[in-house]
Amino acid sequence: MAHVGHRVDYLAGFCCPVGGLVSGKPRVLCHENEIYLSNGSEFVYVYDQEGKVLKAVYKCPDQVWHMELLPLPKQLYILCAHSGIYCVSLDQQSRLMEQTDGDGQESNCPSGVFPVDSDACIFPDSTLCTFTLLNNFVITLSQAQGKWWMKLHELPHPEQESPPYRQISEVGFCPGPEPGDEGDGPPSRFLPVLCCASSPGTVGSGEGLWCSGGFVLEEPLFSLLFGIDAAMLESPMILCGFPDGQLCSVPLKALSSSQTADGCHDVSSQDPPVKILHHLEEPIVFIGALRTERRAAEEEEAEDEQLFGDAGCDCVVAVGHYGKMVAVKADQREEATVPELREYYLRGPILCAACGSGSRMYYSTHSDISAVDLDWVNESSDPEDAESSTGVLPPVLSPASLSICSVVALSLSSRASEGESELLALSAKGRLMTCGLCSPEEAPPARMTPAEAGRRIKELLSGIGNASERVSFLKKAVDQKNRALASLNQVMNVSAALLSSQEGQKPIACTVTANWSCLLLQDAVTISCVLENCSEYSLEEGWTLCVQLLASPCALEEDSADSGTTFTFPIDQLLPGNKRELTLPLGSPADTKLDLPLTISCALYYSLRDILGSGSDSSEALDDFLPDDSPILSPDREGICLPLSECTIDMLQCLRFESSPPGPDASPPAAAPPAPPDPVETFLEVSREQTEPEGVKDSEPPQAPGDGNLPPSAASIRVSSELLKNALKNSSSGVPLSCATLRWLLAENAGAEALSSGEVASVRGAAPDGGEVQLLVREVAMNDLSPAGPIQAVEILMESPSLADMCRMHHAVIRRIQALVLEQAAQGSGPPDLRMQYLRQIQANHEMLLKEAQSLRDRPPPGEEGAATAEKLLHIYRQLRNPSLVVL
Amino acid sequence: MKRRRRGEVPEPGCLRAWAAESEALAGRWRAARCWGPGGAAAARQQRGAFGELLLRMRGLPAALTTLPLELTVLYNSLLFAMGASDCAINGEAEEIRQGLLRVLEACGASGQDLSTEELWQKVLQEVTVEELQAPLHRLGALQGAWWLATNRLGSITSLFRLLSNAEDPGRAPCSGGKNELLSLLKAWRVPAEGDSVSLVQSAKDLKEILCTAAAFLQGLQELEAGNLPAALSLLQEAAGGFCSKRVLAQIYTCLSCCTRQMGKPQTALQHLKRALQVDFQCLPALSHAAAVYHELGETDAELQALAVLYEALERNPPAAASTTPYCLIQTEHLVHTPALASLFRHRHPSEVKYLLAQRCLQDGRVADAVEHYLDFLALLQDGLQQQVPLDGGSALPRIPEVFLEAASALEQAGRHQDAITVCEEVVSRTADLIPQTLRVEEGPEQLECPSPGTELAGGPLSQKRESLCCLVWRTAAYLHQGWAWAKLGKKKEAITQFSRCLEDLLRVQLYRSGVEPTGSLLPEVKLLQEIRLLSLIGRGTQFLELGRHREALLDFQHGLQISPGDPAAASYLVQALWKLNRKQEAATRWQKLSESPAEEDGQQEGLGRCVARRYPLYLVSCLKQAAFPHNESLAGNIQDYLRTTTS
Repeated sequence: MAHVGHRVDYLAGFCCPVGGLVSGKPRVLCHENEIYLSNGSEFVYVYDQEGKVLKAVYKCPDQVWHMELLPLPKQLYILCAHSGIYCVSLDQQSRLMEQTDGDGQESNCPSGVFPVDSDACIFPDSTLCTFTLLNNFVITLSQAQGKWWMKLHELPHPEQESPPYRQISEVGFCPGPEPGDEGDGPPSRFLPVLCCASSPGTVGSGEGLWCSGGFVLEEPLFSLLFGIDAAMLESPMILCGFPDGQLCSVPLKALSSSQTADGCHDVSSQDPPVKILHHLEEPIVFIGALRTERRAAEEEEAEDEQLFGDAGCDCVVAVGHYGKMVAVKADQREEATVPELREYYLRGPILCAACGSGSRMYYSTHSDISAVDLDWVNESSDPEDAESSTGVLPPVLSPASLSICSVVALSLSSRASEGESELLALSAKGRLMTCGLCSPEEAPPARMTPAEAGRRIKELLSGIGNASERVSFLKKAVDQKNRALASLNQVMNVSAALLSSQEGQKPIACTVTANWSCLLLQDAVTISCVLENCSEYSLEEGWTLCVQLLASPCALEEDSADSGTTFTFPIDQLLPGNKRELTLPLGSPADTKLDLPLTISCALYYSLRDILGSGSDSSEALDDFLPDDSPILSPDREGICLPLSECTIDMLQCLRFESSPPGPDASPPAAAPPAPPDPVETFLEVSREQTEPEGVKDSEPPQAPGDGNLPPSAASIRVSSELLKNALKNSSSGVPLSCATLRWLLAENAGAEALSSGEVASVRGAAPDGGEVQLLVREVAMNDLSPAGPIQAVEILMESPSLADMCRMHHAVIRRIQALVLEQAAQGSGPPDLRMQYLRQIQANHEMLLKEAQSLRDRPPPGEEGAATAEKLLHIYRQLRNPSLVVL
Repeated sequence: MKRRRRGEVPEPGCLRAWAAESEALAGRWRAARCWGPGGAAAARQQRGAFGELLLRMRGLPAALTTLPLELTVLYNSLLFAMGASDCAINGEAEEIRQGLLRVLEACGASGQDLSTEELWQKVLQEVTVEELQAPLHRLGALQGAWWLATNRLGSITSLFRLLSNAEDPGRAPCSGGKNELLSLLKAWRVPAEGDSVSLVQSAKDLKEILCTAAAFLQGLQELEAGNLPAALSLLQEAAGGFCSKRVLAQIYTCLSCCTRQMGKPQTALQHLKRALQVDFQCLPALSHAAAVYHELGETDAELQALAVLYEALERNPPAAASTTPYCLIQTEHLVHTPALASLFRHRHPSEVKYLLAQRCLQDGRVADAVEHYLDFLALLQDGLQQQVPLDGGSALPRIPEVFLEAASALEQAGRHQDAITVCEEVVSRTADLIPQTLRVEEGPEQLECPSPGTELAGGPLSQKRESLCCLVWRTAAYLHQGWAWAKLGKKKEAITQFSRCLEDLLRVQLYRSGVEPTGSLLPEVKLLQEIRLLSLIGRGTQFLELGRHREALLDFQHGLQISPGDPAAASYLVQALWKLNRKQEAATRWQKLSESPAEEDGQQEGLGRCVARRYPLYLVSCLKQAAFPHNESLAGNIQDYLRTTTS
């Protein structure tokens, strides 16, 4: 409707918590030129509006719930959470401050924070919820024993110093059902609201009537609302708005505790002092009063002005948090004067509200401050129209926007100097601002002077600035929410797809292979992970592929077992059906030693922190979002983790063959197939070759075995041909068993494709650290094992100058054969008849060897003999690695 | 330290240190007690110190060797806690429970899920360690005190049954005519206070307090239930017990209530006297005494009592009674019942002032009444310090009635102008609260709403009733003003006021809902009819004095229509007829009137009584003024006339 002229000035910023200030507890008071502000923390600020400086800061022992100012003597009454009401004398404090100012040079900033100590606590009562002041009386409302208690205390007169805060009277009551469901203490984040309504008669008697937020209520509304007794007693009335929505009135002059029964009364049989005026059914956040009939008062000003002095209010309003508002006004048009009660629905949630001297009420929501005018002149003279809209209150309210968003505390002040009222507002971000209010009469001046026009333009500009700030704020918030929702949706889709296909093929898969590639002119083993999205959802930005490399616990050096490295690759976008290959280096020969075998696990990770914003409460938001025991929640509870695959990379996969794959003519052993050379000879040859350098470098300390300067280590495994034939029958068609076996062993090696073309039974390759490794497969017959005759077997012979490489190779081969045996055992082929005696003999031999090795290891002989012992040990191990057993 | 059953035993050094600390604390308390003032602060400090010690002891697993000391420290700390607060707090019950659980823990049992009653049973039956008996019994007494304070007589009875059984299983619990709890309490043998640890309040004291409190509490309950003889004996028992002067005065006051209800006002007075002798601060005794005097019709004494009460209240407003520093737990901590609260409702000075004024007015002491009423009205202006209770238990009627009574007193004292002013206040205050037309259904059933309070949202019925009340007050105020103007000799003004009264009365529209005849009218409606009658008579008399006999006659006729047998209206009618020179009619009327002498007599002698029953106090003066004053002369005139006509 009407645009309310206003001008916004920012005064100061005050600290506020990360999530912004919460409404209810912050409070802004204004007296003369000073603004008293509490922002819900334990601090109370005194701000000088004239000098635009912060004058003082008080630190209270606990969160400040409520604050009232007594102007004479200048005292601030502060209610702290769970401790009571503290009284701070401002006169004293300013004197104190002047002293300190004299000492220090800075006069602009407060010389510090004044702590409010426990001596200042005048009502130590942990059950206090709120209070209000009326002249030199304090009215407190506390909650104890399932009841509300209103107590009236008298403050000591200024002249008498000793502070006996005499309790005059109290009344306990419980409006409605059980006030304290959650035990003692305020039941919710809403505190009750108190407000004092005086009868018109009391104004004349008490010149210095002071009650912040209080008002004088005109007759006949006072009598109609509170009854003839209160009116004749001229008793001030306390209006209480409770978090459950009840609006009660209590006559201050007739507070009396008639404890006829200690239980709660129900409303019908309630004792008269406490009357329920209305039930708003939502937490009441504000009670105020308005002067709606300006003109009527002006008409009969002659008598009225003298009778009542300043005209009182003629309309009481109460506002609920969710936007319900009730207004009560006396309807005198009919033959009977009745209170007209009208409910309105404003757009909530309403954070705070304020009433000025006029007919307007200002209320603040998250997005705006609005003004509603309850002045309503039924202009239509049409009797029918009047019939349809009977009432003295407007049938609907049309809020006018002030375009100031998220204000948590409002107060109306009229500065005497300027003669216009202004709105003091504290925003959720802790900013204190004033908003000048022009009454509609003076808003459009007939003809503007240039100065006025300039001012008006300025105001308009500031209004525009404010509006655009608000728009961008709101837009940003909406956008962010939309984005978050979209992201969450796709995250949920992907998670569901992955989790539902736990058994079978995962729709999003990651395959890992090891390769040799040339990096920075050095050859190195790399791992390539191929992430393939076969699902119908695309992986959007925010997903991360995590590849964790973990040296297996059975790696050679046990202490490195737990050293895992994780590589993360952010995925920008992976559409359905697309692949992405990622490569990561495992290490080059020059690099640190590579501990094979490696366990590599891949997982997709999505950080929820990013989409939920960086607010401090996002982890709580996450708690709401996912249950605690959700399997997909990552251990730090900040994201979603979906495991994809796990695999092991071992020596066989990392072997590198000469640039030209081992062809039939590449190496002597490779040319074996037609007439395989005697493996024993070959072995001996190699051994001899390696022994020579060893003998040369005898002077070197033998403590470093397996570093290439030793004779080539060798190991062999025999597997029965039948077993292998069974296992490899798919791939071994047409090739000798030895070739098939070698192919099988090197199947996962990308560089060994050439093997598949020819019939190769032996290869020579390089380990990742550069050492040479040879692998030889041949068929042997085992004679002594079975009584039924010789058993055909395949012997896999591994040798390398480096003991470590040989061991890794041995491990890799055994790992494969283990898997194969397990697989075959599952198919249930029984072993042939064996000569047990022989087997036992071999086992006994081995056990003896083991024992010997152990004893040598346990008691390493000192000095010179050490070298010899090491040699011996090596020999024993070598013997152990060449069992005469066969895997059947 | 001989027995080591279970749990680790703290070093003897630790135990010794604790014992020494406990001893030192108790010693400090004894010293502080002698100094007198500052007891509360000392008690708070002690409570904290004992609590801290207890916490430290509970830091270790329960062990039988330390338990006696631990229970004693618990006992001491609880004494401070209970003595410091006005009423029992749940925390203390929990503390006792914890203590019992510790005992069970030391004995290798558990009782987490048992109720406190069951826990006691288990502990007392299963724990037979000699050293623990005394501390356990002392703790039992504390538990009993707590249960008394929360009015759980059943629990305390069974606990003490256990305690006495445990001590002497052979003897059957004494039962029979006497109160079981009391006999159990008396039979309970107080554990000897060994030299081990000092107690800040001995178990013997506690037993005495328990006995008194139990007797008092049960006496109150019996009194409430109406079993007066039982109440009497219990209260007498309590009066013989060990308690503070304050409680003793309370007990005597209760005794007086009991005897008063038994129809022995003199004995009641004796008890009240004793109560005041014991504790002259026991102001409720004074107001009870006033009530008894009222019953006895001794107005002088009653007014005196009220005056003393008022003075006492004025001089020192009732503050929280200072507790004697000797006992930490007192009887007053243990007796909390609604009955006690209502018996000892503390009167506000305003109430007493009003009672004084009202009694003076009722008794016809007009000058005193005026003084008191004016004092009361001044009191209303005093600000918030002077509370004016308006709730159900208050002695005050509705405020407009007080104003009207004041006006009535002023009028009777001849201060007519003042009376008019006071009435004007009522008239103006009610102006907005009475609708132009008030439709009232005959038959009070629909409007039966005992609460005089109005509620905005309370529905139309109570609001209508409130409007009716306002109408009664407003018309009564006009009535008073009319008579006051009449007394001042300003007949025209008087007629104006009476007319306004009658005009306002027209706002009420009675309508019949059913066929039922009148007779079951709302009291307010009946009152309005009386006011109309009085107003008509008043206006008639003024018309008569102005010589407007015809109008006077009309008014009197209307009056008689409302109340056909009213002697005042009838007499005035006769006079009006006489003055109109319709002497024959007047004579017949007169003869008819004098044929019903009983009514006339009734009006003559028992005006006060009848008025007290039917009329509110503020209307009594109007009623008196409406009485026909020239009975004898009119009778003489008519008899003369009759003689002349017949002869």
